[in-house]
Order: sequence, then structure tokens, then C-alpha cells
Amino acid sequence: MSAPAPPAHADPHLNPVLAAQPAGLTDNSEGMAYLERLPRRLVTTYLPLAIILVVLLFPFYWMALTAIKPDEQLIDMEHYNPFWVVQPTFKHIHKLLFETQYPRWLWNTMYVSVAATVLSLFASVLAAYACVRVRYRGAGWVGAAIFLAYLVPPSILFIPLATIVQAYGLFDSPIALILAYPTILIPFSTWLLMGYFKTIPYELEECALMDGASRWQILTKIILPLAFPGLISAGIFSLTLCWNEFIYALTFLSSTQNKTVPIAVVSEFVDGDVYKWGSLMAGALLGSLPLVILYSFFVEYYVSALTGAVKE
Amino acid sequence: MAHTALTQPVPVAAPTRSSWQRFRASRGWAGFWFMLPTTLILGLFLAYPLLKGIWLSFTNTRIGREGVFIGLENYEWLWDDDVFWLSVFNTCLYTAVASAIKFAVGLYLALLLNKNMPFKAIIRSIVLIPFVVPTVLSAIAFWWIFDSQFSIISWSLRHLGIIDGNIDFLGEPAMARACVIFANIWRGVPFIAITLLAGLQTVSPSLYEAATLDGASNWQIFWRITLPLLTPIIAVVMTFSVLFTFTDFQLIWAMTRGGPVNATHLMATLSYQRGILSGTLGEGAAIATAMVPFLLAAIGISWFGLQRRAWQAGESDR
Amino acid sequence: MQGLDRRSLLAGAAAAGLAAGGDLLGFAKAWAQNAEWKPEPGASLSLLRWKRFVPSEDEAFLKLVDAFTQATGVKITVSNESYDDIQPKASVAANTGQGPDMVWGLFSFPALFPDKCLPLEDVADSLAKKYGPWFPSAEAYGKVKGKWIAIPVAFNGGYPNYRISAMKKAGFDKFPTDTAGFLELCRGMKKNNTPAGFALGHATGDGNTWCHWALWAHGGNLVDANEKIVINSPETAKALEYVKSLYETFVPGTVSWNDSSNNKAFLAGDLYLTNNGISIYAAAKKDNPKLAEDMDHAVWPVGPVGKPTEFQLAFPILAFKYSKAPNACKAFIAFMMEASNYNPWLEQAQGYLCEPLSNYPKNPIWTADPKNAVFAEAGRRSLAAGGLAPVSERIAAVLADFVVVDMFASHCTGREDVKTAIKNAERAAQRIFRNT
Repeated sequence: MSAPAPPAHADPHLNPVLAAQPAGLTDNSEGMAYLERLPRRLVTTYLPLAIILVVLLFPFYWMALTAIKPDEQLIDMEHYNPFWVVQPTFKHIHKLLFETQYPRWLWNTMYVSVAATVLSLFASVLAAYACVRVRYRGAGWVGAAIFLAYLVPPSILFIPLATIVQAYGLFDSPIALILAYPTILIPFSTWLLMGYFKTIPYELEECALMDGASRWQILTKIILPLAFPGLISAGIFSLTLCWNEFIYALTFLSSTQNKTVPIAVVSEFVDGDVYKWGSLMAGALLGSLPLVILYSFFVEYYVSALTGAVKE
Repeated sequence: MAHTALTQPVPVAAPTRSSWQRFRASRGWAGFWFMLPTTLILGLFLAYPLLKGIWLSFTNTRIGREGVFIGLENYEWLWDDDVFWLSVFNTCLYTAVASAIKFAVGLYLALLLNKNMPFKAIIRSIVLIPFVVPTVLSAIAFWWIFDSQFSIISWSLRHLGIIDGNIDFLGEPAMARACVIFANIWRGVPFIAITLLAGLQTVSPSLYEAATLDGASNWQIFWRITLPLLTPIIAVVMTFSVLFTFTDFQLIWAMTRGGPVNATHLMATLSYQRGILSGTLGEGAAIATAMVPFLLAAIGISWFGLQRRAWQAGESDR
Repeated sequence: MQGLDRRSLLAGAAAAGLAAGGDLLGFAKAWAQNAEWKPEPGASLSLLRWKRFVPSEDEAFLKLVDAFTQATGVKITVSNESYDDIQPKASVAANTGQGPDMVWGLFSFPALFPDKCLPLEDVADSLAKKYGPWFPSAEAYGKVKGKWIAIPVAFNGGYPNYRISAMKKAGFDKFPTDTAGFLELCRGMKKNNTPAGFALGHATGDGNTWCHWALWAHGGNLVDANEKIVINSPETAKALEYVKSLYETFVPGTVSWNDSSNNKAFLAGDLYLTNNGISIYAAAKKDNPKLAEDMDHAVWPVGPVGKPTEFQLAFPILAFKYSKAPNACKAFIAFMMEASNYNPWLEQAQGYLCEPLSNYPKNPIWTADPKNAVFAEAGRRSLAAGGLAPVSERIAAVLADFVVVDMFASHCTGREDVKTAIKNAERAAQRIFRNT
């Protein structure tokens, strides 16, 4: 990844304003679009896209449908068409919101995710900057070692980690998750930010160094503002991973009011051998809503930021 | 040599002090401070538990009881344990098939999404939905979709007159594997597609225009321009994908619990079943530790395999 | 008119409330005066329990907890966990000496870490004196190596649930009482396209219980009383063949079933005979009265061994040694088992749970509906998890590893012949029972 940095004027990501609206600038198909006629596009683009979208969305639709389906229609496939719902009910959603601690779980999830994300962004910014720009001895090896952290996934770690969490006195505390989640977030964020930092020209830093700025000042005053899209991108990714994490949350948390959405919903709406399908699915949908909204605002940003990071 | 003579009287302690000072003024010192948070977190919550886990695998620790060192005994028992080897096979199959299909579909989807079309932003965020819904809950939804009696798929096929009885999705080993792999693909494709889409956007349009002017076909353009330029990002994304697939837990746990008759047990789920549910921590840790070499091999294949392609394609500057 | 109605209603409600609430509290206060165990002053406890089957049981339990708190001043925080997850949680707590004071879970989990459990000899004896003796299986769950380390609070009966009409159509007036008749019934039902189905997937409750029943009914055992592995026997082979012929009559898909699958299929009318707790019947009474009327329950048929070989879920409660208030724990456990607390609570459990001691006053729940009666038998008829062997951490591992279920399932699906299936189960048992 040692390719020389592109000249400043050629890279839209150096300019945050440009980076925020990348679609018009980086979309390579623009130039060729006129070559394709509509019928052809229909077959080569829209049809396959539609099929993939339907497959991707169907389980989601199924969840939404289940969330508003009265119980008796759920297992009666003879009298009711399973693809549709008659007399939808908001009973399950009502139960979820007002008869359980769902708002509390949602708050826990947000709190843990945001805190863990902020912590890992802080750590990864420093690490990525050190690997890319400080160039201390062994920087390359350390970069690789961080990536190797992914060799040790939660499914291997949770047994010993549980005993360690206990030893630190963090059992059943959100702090345990806030400290454990960065282990799955830092490697990706560091990689992404390393790519991003590389696109920032040396000249800027050298000027600042000559003016007597410290490393820390350079990082906070020059690099971070320029790398903002990269931060957003790493942040959203981290947030998503935290939001959906299961095995650590299952092992480290025990009291109902401390749980995160995925584990709380599963343990609250499975009564022995009876699944409360409606509320389970409503919980899944409402729980992912904040992220869906976040993505719908930031998806273009996210793509453009990733583009910046992988450009090397 | 006069130089040496002159410096001789300097106290012995000085070199260490000055090297310490040099270190403090050097890049190494700055690097140390910058790396500190990451090192602390990864050290305390990753390296230490990993070492502890490896140690556990050499003991007969049970939950609630300290174990003693028993050498390789846990591994010896695993060595001729059919269920363990089945789980290894399942894990490899699961990873290989799911990653390959995820890659193919993800790349295809990325190419589609890269075209200019109305509602682009909305479509892109819709694509990401499977990535956003909590996995364990979407897995439960899949479990319902693949139910032996109430599968919506069986119902549709029956009503279309294609089949007579319900399909036993999660009861037949081959079918069950296909189902969990499908669910994994469903969940994994969006991330790959979006990341590859980001990669695609780095390809300069002028290259395409030049190729089109030279009369290259779409296929040639894809094969000669897009793919080689995309290779570095493919290597990274696929390595991530292989890692996450290999160590998957939630999906299997929510859908099959390793059934039917262990046909979908992955090493991670088997480790949980033996280590936590059965209480034999040492053995669970041994299974988890046994994942590491396989994981290294899988990553080696996806990372270096793809990197080599990058060199062949002329990306020698990496 | 209206005012009068309202007033009388209110008065009635108040009276009822007073009667119920007052009784419980009054009793609690009196009990606390004479209790054998005086809670440590200022003590507060936390209790981790399995997640309820029915909300009313949970409410009744919390009321009981509340009464205890008011009488003794000991505050108890109750948290719930699905019953599959209790054991890992308890294990972690035992391992590290931090966590809930008391855990109320499933099967033999206290045997995973007997050294960490508070001895409950005195509580068990005092209860046995009042309501005893303990059923043998209850004793087996509560004791490890002759010492009480847990109190088996209740059993959950899992019994054949069947559709009366389907049984009659298959030519049976009464539910068969032996395994041969049972097979005949399943065959007949299959012929009429009203099939049976029993879980062969990794179903903690339904799968483990019926597979152990089938094995024991034919005289097969995984280990004997001295923990010697004896699964490789002609009896086991017979059990395998029997279950295979049963499996041939099953509705498709049972290999993938978990605990909830048969509930769903039975309620939807796709399944006519299965094993389950009372939850199917409870749901049917609520949402599908017609089906409830057409269904009934029966005790498990007796096999060639000639005596009941049922295997039922047991719910023991333990207190950890690390608890700062061991006396408060004991007081609470004794308090909840006291008939005047236990019985109303059990009644609210609506037949899911039954007594572990033989001389509790008759609970009205068993006579309220004749179809409930079968579930009262669970404690009396059940064997403990180990069969012949004492309950231990190894037995817990056998259950968690689904050794017996997998043996049957792999043979039924045709993946393994009788010999291989037994050999694999034997090897799994050797792994679990090895001397380390």
C-alpha cells in the first residue's frame, strides 16, 4: 500500500464538501449510461437487482408480517394466506413497548454500542496514525498483528473471558461489554483508517511540523478533520457490530434490566416451549430501526468513505 | 581513533540515559503512546484470554472446579472423536461454500448497484438491511421460514402443485446445511456488496471509456480492468468474510443447535455445547483452540491466494 | 343503582384482596417468628430463576417473594433466564464466586459444582418431616454423595398428549399402557394420516425426556450404579429398534425439532400425538377450545422392564456458599416450600409443575380439570437423570451433550446402524466419564 499519494487536487476526499457528495463525481457508469437502452437495462440491471432485493427483503417482510399477525393466523395456513394478514393487530408491539422493559433494553444497547464505538475509534485513530505516519520501528508488523486479532474470535474467547470479566468485578455490568467489544471493532477500524490516512498528503503534515506543531496537534487539527468520512464509516460499521453482538452479551449480562436488545428479546419472549412470535419479531424490527434510519441517511457517505479508504 | 579516546571518560550510565532520552525523542516513543490504548485493550481482553484459553485446553478444568494439567489428553480424545471431525468438516464446508457464494453474489450485486439508476440511495440502504437486523433474531425468522411443518416455502410450492408433502428443511443433513448456508449468505452479502461497491467507485471512468473505444466487450472490461483493480479490496473483504463465517455461532445456535444429529455443528457451537453446557471447560477450550490452525489456513488461502492474483495482475507496489 | 353496584364490587374486591393478601402476609409474619433460620440482619438476596412457562406462576411467585420480604425485611431481587441459559450462568457464578445468591434451574445442574453449594441438610430434613418423604427422584436431584446440596422445588411433567378422536379412529379406546400397544397406536395413527411425532432434535426438554424413557423402558442404561458404562447391551439395541419403528410412523421433520416445534404442530392440527408438558393444553384451552376438548394426556407406557421409566424435568434450587446471608437463603427456601405458600403458587402454575414430596395437601389444580390429573404423577413416577447412576456433573454433561438423543436420532435417520450408533454413544460416554 505504498503507492505515492495522489496529487491533492485530484482527490475529492481531501475536500470534505466534495466527499460528502461523491455520487456525481465517482460514479464511473455515468459516462457510459447513454450506450444502454432501456429494454436492455431492464434485463441486465433491473430484473436481477429486483430478484436479489426480493430475496434479501423477504425475511424482513416476513418478520414485519409476523409482528402484526394475530396468533391464530400464524399457524393456520389453511384458512389464511400466510403471505398476508387480515385484521392486523398491534397487540404484540404494544406488549413489547409497554409491558416489558424494551425501552430500557434499547437504551442499554445504544449506550453500550456508542461507548464501545467511541472507545474503539479513539484507539484505532491513534493506532492507525502511528502505523501510517509515525513509522516507528516495526510499525508494519504491529499493523499486521492488529489484523491478526481477528484470528481470535468471540466464540473462542468467551470462556476464558468470562472468568476474566468476573475477576475484574465487571460481571453483569455494561462496562464489561464496552471493554470487550473493541476487540472485535479495532482491527477493522484501524485497517479502514490506515487506508484513509494514507490518502492525506505528507506535505500538509511536514508544513505543520516545521511550524512546530506536535504530533498530537497534527492529528487533531489536521488529520482528523480530513479523515472525518473515514471516521463516520468506521463508526457506523462498529455500531452495527455492537448492536448485533450476541455471545458476549449472553455470557456477561444476567439481570433483565441490564440486557441488550438481542438477548433480552430472546429470553423474554420464549416461555419454555412457547415462542411469542409476534413480540419476538416486533422486537427485532424495532430494535434495528435506529440503525436502518442511520444507514438511510449515511449510506452514500458510508460508501464514499469506504471508497476513500480502499483507494490505495 | 582519537575520537574514542576522548569519549572514554564519560560515565558508564550515560549511554543508557542517552538512549532512553533518544528513545523518548524518537518515533518509537510517539509510536508507543499512540499504540497504548489499542495494546491495552487487545492485550487485556484478547491476548490474555487467548493464552488462558490455550492453557485451559491442556487441563481438565470443569466449570466450578479448578483443573490440573493433563497434557494433550483433551486433544487425544478429540483426535478420534467422530463428532469433532464432523464439526471440522462442517465448518470448512460452511466457510468455503458460504464465502464463495457470498463473494459471487456480492460482487454481482455491487456491479449492479454501481450502475446509474433512480432511487440509488434508497436501494443501497435497503440492501444493507440484512446486515443491520440482529442476527439471532433474523436467524429465528429463518428457522420459522424453514420450519418442518409451517415453512412458507413448502406452503408455496405445495400450492403451486410442485410438491406433495412438506420439505424437511432442517431435518435432512444436506438440506439443513444448505439452509444454514443460505441464511449465512443472506446475512453476509450486503456487507460484501457495499464494500466492493466502494472499491468499484475507485476505478476511474476514463479507463472504461478507453476500453470501450478500443472495442472491448463488457466481459473483457470486467475481466481485464474491473477485477484486477478490485483485487486488493477483494482480498481484505474476503478475509473478513472467511473469518466471520468460520467462527459463526449465533446463526447455527438459533436455527439448528447443531442438529440434525450434529450435521450442522460448527466448531464454535460444539465448543459452546461441550465447554459451557456440559461444563467441561477444558475440552471446550481445546475445540476452540483447535480452530486456530484451521482459521490460519483459511485466512492464508483467502489472503495470500488473492494477493498473488494481485501481483500477477501487476499490482507489484503492494 | 350504579353506585351500589360499584360499592359492592369494590367491597368484594377489597375483601378478596384482604383475604388473599392478608393471609399470605399474616402467615409469613407468624412463620418468620418461629422459623428455624433467622436471616442475617440487613441481608438482601438475589435469585436467578428459570424463565416461567405461564405468567400467572411468575406473578404468584413474586407475591410469595414479597411476603417473605415484608415478614423478614430481606429484599430479594429475582431475575429470569431461559432454562437453557441458567446452567452456563450458574456455572460462571460458581466458578468465580460472584453472582446470584440462589439459582433455581433445571435437572442436575447443582451436581456440576457440588463444592460450591451451601449444604441444605437441615432444610431438606425439616421439609421431609412436614410433608415427606421426598420422592426418590427428588432425593436423587437434591443429594450428591449423600449430602443435600439443593432442594428440588418441583417437577414438570411431560406426558403423551393425544387427540382422542385420532386415537379412537386408530382402534384404541384407552391410551395403551405398554410399549407394544404404544407402537401399535402410532402405526394405526400413521395409517389414518393422523401421525404422531416426538422430538429427535436437540430439544432440552422434550427430546431428552422421551429418549431416556425409551432407553430405560427396554432395560438399557448408559451407565450403571457405579458409573460403569453399560450402554453396549442387547437391551439398548432393542430400544434402538423400537424407536426406529416408532420413528417410521412419525410426521416428517422431527429430527429438527426443538422444544417448541411439537407445540406448534399439535395446535395447528398437523400432529396428533406427541410428548409435552401441559403447555399445549393450556394454549388450546385459550385459543382453540374445540381442540382442547378433543385432546387428553396419559402416563408413559411401561416397557419390557415392567415398571415406569419416565424421565421428567426437575427444578432444583441451590444457594451458593459465597452468599453473605446463608441463613436468609435457607429461610427463603424453607418459606417457599411451606404448604400454605407452595400450594397457591403451584396452583397458579396451572399444572406445569408438581410436588416433589409425597404428603403435600392435595392441590386443587389436579382435580380442577380431569385432564390435568396425569401431570400430578411426574414426581412419583420419574426416575432421576442418571437412571441407575447417581446424579453428577457427568450426568449433566450427558444431557447437555445429547448423547442418548443423538444415538437414537442417528439410527432413526438411517445414518448409523444399531452397532455404530451404540458404539458412538459408548465413546461419548467414555469421554465424559473418563477418570480425570
